[in-house]
Amino acid sequence: MGKIKLESLDKIRDALARRPSELEKARQGGAKVVGYFCSNIPEEIIVALGLIPVRLCRGGDVRQVEVGSRYVSTKNCVFIRQSLGMFAEGTDPYVRNSDIIAVAATCMQMYRLGELIEEYFERKPLILGVPRNFYLPEGKEYFRYELESFARRLEKASGRLLEPEALKESIQLYGDIRETISRIYKFQALDSEPVTWREVFETIQAGFYLDRFQYRVLLKELLRELEDSKPESHASGIDEKPRILLSGTIIAPGDTKLIDIIEKMGGRVVADDLCSGLRPLTHVNVKDYSIGSIADAYMDRVPCGSLPYLLSLETDRRLANMADLIHTYRVEGIIYHTLRYCDPFTFKAVETKKFFQDRAAFLEIHTEYAPVDVEALRTRVEAFMELIQNLRVVRC
Amino acid sequence: MLTSIKMSFGKGTMTYPEGAREAFLESGGLTFKDGSSISAGDIWEYMTIEAPRKFPFAYSNNANSLSRPSTYLEFLWGIKYRYLLLSFQDRIGEAKKRGYPVAFVQGGQTLEPYYATNSIPLRPYFISLWSQNQRLGESERERAISGMKTLEEGRREVSIEACHQVASHAAIKNGATPVDLIAPYLCLRCSDMPYLVETHRGTDRNTPTMLVDFPVNHQLDNEWAVSYMARNLRRLVQKIVELGGKQITDDDLRTQIRLQNKARRIARDLVHMWWNADSIPSYSCEIRNAITLANDFCGDPVAGIQVLEEAYREVKERVDRGIKGIEMADKPVRIFLCGSCVTPSTHHIDRVGGTVIGWDDWWNRLLIDVQEDGEDPYVNLAKAILSFPYELPTHQRALWTAEQARLSRSHGLVFAFNWGCNNQSAVARAVCDVVKQELGIPTMSLEMGELGRAEQLEQSNNRIESFIEMIA
Repeated sequence: MGKIKLESLDKIRDALARRPSELEKARQGGAKVVGYFCSNIPEEIIVALGLIPVRLCRGGDVRQVEVGSRYVSTKNCVFIRQSLGMFAEGTDPYVRNSDIIAVAATCMQMYRLGELIEEYFERKPLILGVPRNFYLPEGKEYFRYELESFARRLEKASGRLLEPEALKESIQLYGDIRETISRIYKFQALDSEPVTWREVFETIQAGFYLDRFQYRVLLKELLRELEDSKPESHASGIDEKPRILLSGTIIAPGDTKLIDIIEKMGGRVVADDLCSGLRPLTHVNVKDYSIGSIADAYMDRVPCGSLPYLLSLETDRRLANMADLIHTYRVEGIIYHTLRYCDPFTFKAVETKKFFQDRAAFLEIHTEYAPVDVEALRTRVEAFMELIQNLRVVRC
Repeated sequence: MLTSIKMSFGKGTMTYPEGAREAFLESGGLTFKDGSSISAGDIWEYMTIEAPRKFPFAYSNNANSLSRPSTYLEFLWGIKYRYLLLSFQDRIGEAKKRGYPVAFVQGGQTLEPYYATNSIPLRPYFISLWSQNQRLGESERERAISGMKTLEEGRREVSIEACHQVASHAAIKNGATPVDLIAPYLCLRCSDMPYLVETHRGTDRNTPTMLVDFPVNHQLDNEWAVSYMARNLRRLVQKIVELGGKQITDDDLRTQIRLQNKARRIARDLVHMWWNADSIPSYSCEIRNAITLANDFCGDPVAGIQVLEEAYREVKERVDRGIKGIEMADKPVRIFLCGSCVTPSTHHIDRVGGTVIGWDDWWNRLLIDVQEDGEDPYVNLAKAILSFPYELPTHQRALWTAEQARLSRSHGLVFAFNWGCNNQSAVARAVCDVVKQELGIPTMSLEMGELGRAEQLEQSNNRIESFIEMIA
């Protein structure tokens, strides 16, 4: 918990607890829920069509991983296996309440997940193609067409047409949400924060499920509360805890293993570069109120590591974003989290370490949800925290 | 026409028998893409004197060796195929001297843009072979160890979870195989490739890279997806030209398309003939070699197609005369092999009473001809690539696989994938389940870790043997 009691955080938690029953009621009233995988699915279009977006994103459940492993190989990451387990069990309220399933084919394992959901659970997902050559003009054009097609397919599934006014309102809603989260996040730059990164992370992830209009209101309340708390009064000038940037593979709601260890070992996460955290919300610039502009904004924002970037390291927006975070949040150490068999992030670990070698200490943690490696991770994270503390002494 | 002549055996090795010499000389030499040629006599000399000295591994008599020749020589074209394999680095050297670029590509793709621009496309297997063939005189064991060393070097640089393709990337990075361009097509067969290509940026060698993207989810009917892929292909040609490749017109590309369609047709006819034969004409490795040759031509489509034509004639003669492969079982268990980049020992399968009758990976793209005229040839290529059955959404791919297993009268299906292959392993069970449901034949999902090694094969060999015994 942060330094002060934040009532708006309690409200967000309460709203989250109520959300499954709200969704059920909404569906009884004729509303349709779109459960989707991957942050490249543009919620703006879903909301503009009067549909309810829910990001299907759970981690950390070893039992569901085992259930999912009946349908896919153990050479696939635990996030994919648990997602299949959720469909197999059918107990997750968000999976249960999803009328339409959508998958963005950013990560190829995610695309395979969509195929297996169709094969074994008779739910035909809408697939959104995402170009690997996302930085080339032809890649951007392809994504514009894909998004137009995705919108048409959603129109068909919802029985509604996309109205320009509704799209405009939706784009503005998400602009507000991103802006507010970004301002809330900035408190992590302080030495003594009124809200912990973990609480902010939890708040961002609440946005996967809550009604987005209500979510915007709650976020603004939280921001007001934080600003009213006179954050400068919390600044002690010295942050005793090592300041950590958490990067790499998705850390989904429910997957708390690494974050718990970092906190227990005395670290303070001050920023993240995760698709389940801040990354998809930053540098999104929708220039006008059209589907094409949404497509361009998604291709031009900080890309997911699942999209290979072949040009120079110096022009890689993913690395540039990490560099910005290191600077803004005065990061001392990067903990680069990779799930086993997550190739996109795992293959980049060596290169990322080399790239930041003069800017921050670097620790790669390669793990999965099973608790068998907790002690090994604890030792490595503890040693990493000691290293950062020692570096402080050396620098002094 | 040969029937079956036993190879000559030495200490741990074998070589082509003198008794085949005369027939081989009568079969004629080979002509290459650049107009040069080699006589049958020179090929024979090379394959019986020079190559055994340079490449002893390729003549190993180890029963588990994947590059082992068959115990009986049943086809003369097989000698020419192996000649193309063992001499291809000389042709690369020649191409590089002339300034033509050598490009790293992925298996499972069409090669027209590369060959049309006079570049030599090499899939990972050939990159490894090029790297390894520079060390002359290696025995099979020495080769296995040196291959593992490169594989481990690649994994140290990237990740232990990278599939065996990382070895070919390591060979590029360490300079053993100085390709001029790393430019594979992407497709559903592999999810490691784009990230392995990405690892080349920022390396000392800094080899130029690009990806020809593949829009997933069967987008043949989406004009924008076809156009996207066609623009990627144009960009590829432009890149090769920048690196010294030949500037081409659309008609040059069409000419190459026609040539490669010819190879597809010959291979299709050959395979269908093999499938429909009353008895299995020869070893499983022979049909595999014909299929792979029609896919990559060992670096020279002109010579490759000539060998394919000879293969067709020789297989036809055996089939017409009802000749059975001398070491094949009378009623072998016919196995359809699925997966990617994976080669269980066909010698072992033959030995235990089976035969590999089909490969989904190498086979599927021979079934799709690229349209030869009419539209933009890049669009035609894109449409063909987007139609490959292996790259379709899994359920459609599985239905196609079931149909191929039915046509080839397969008794069982093995879906094999290599260590580190996330994308094929993800759908192994689904494909097996659909095939089982459609055909009612036994299926097996098999993870393999041997990566072409000559040893440590007992796990996959045991499982395949049990599978064959169960069916038999």
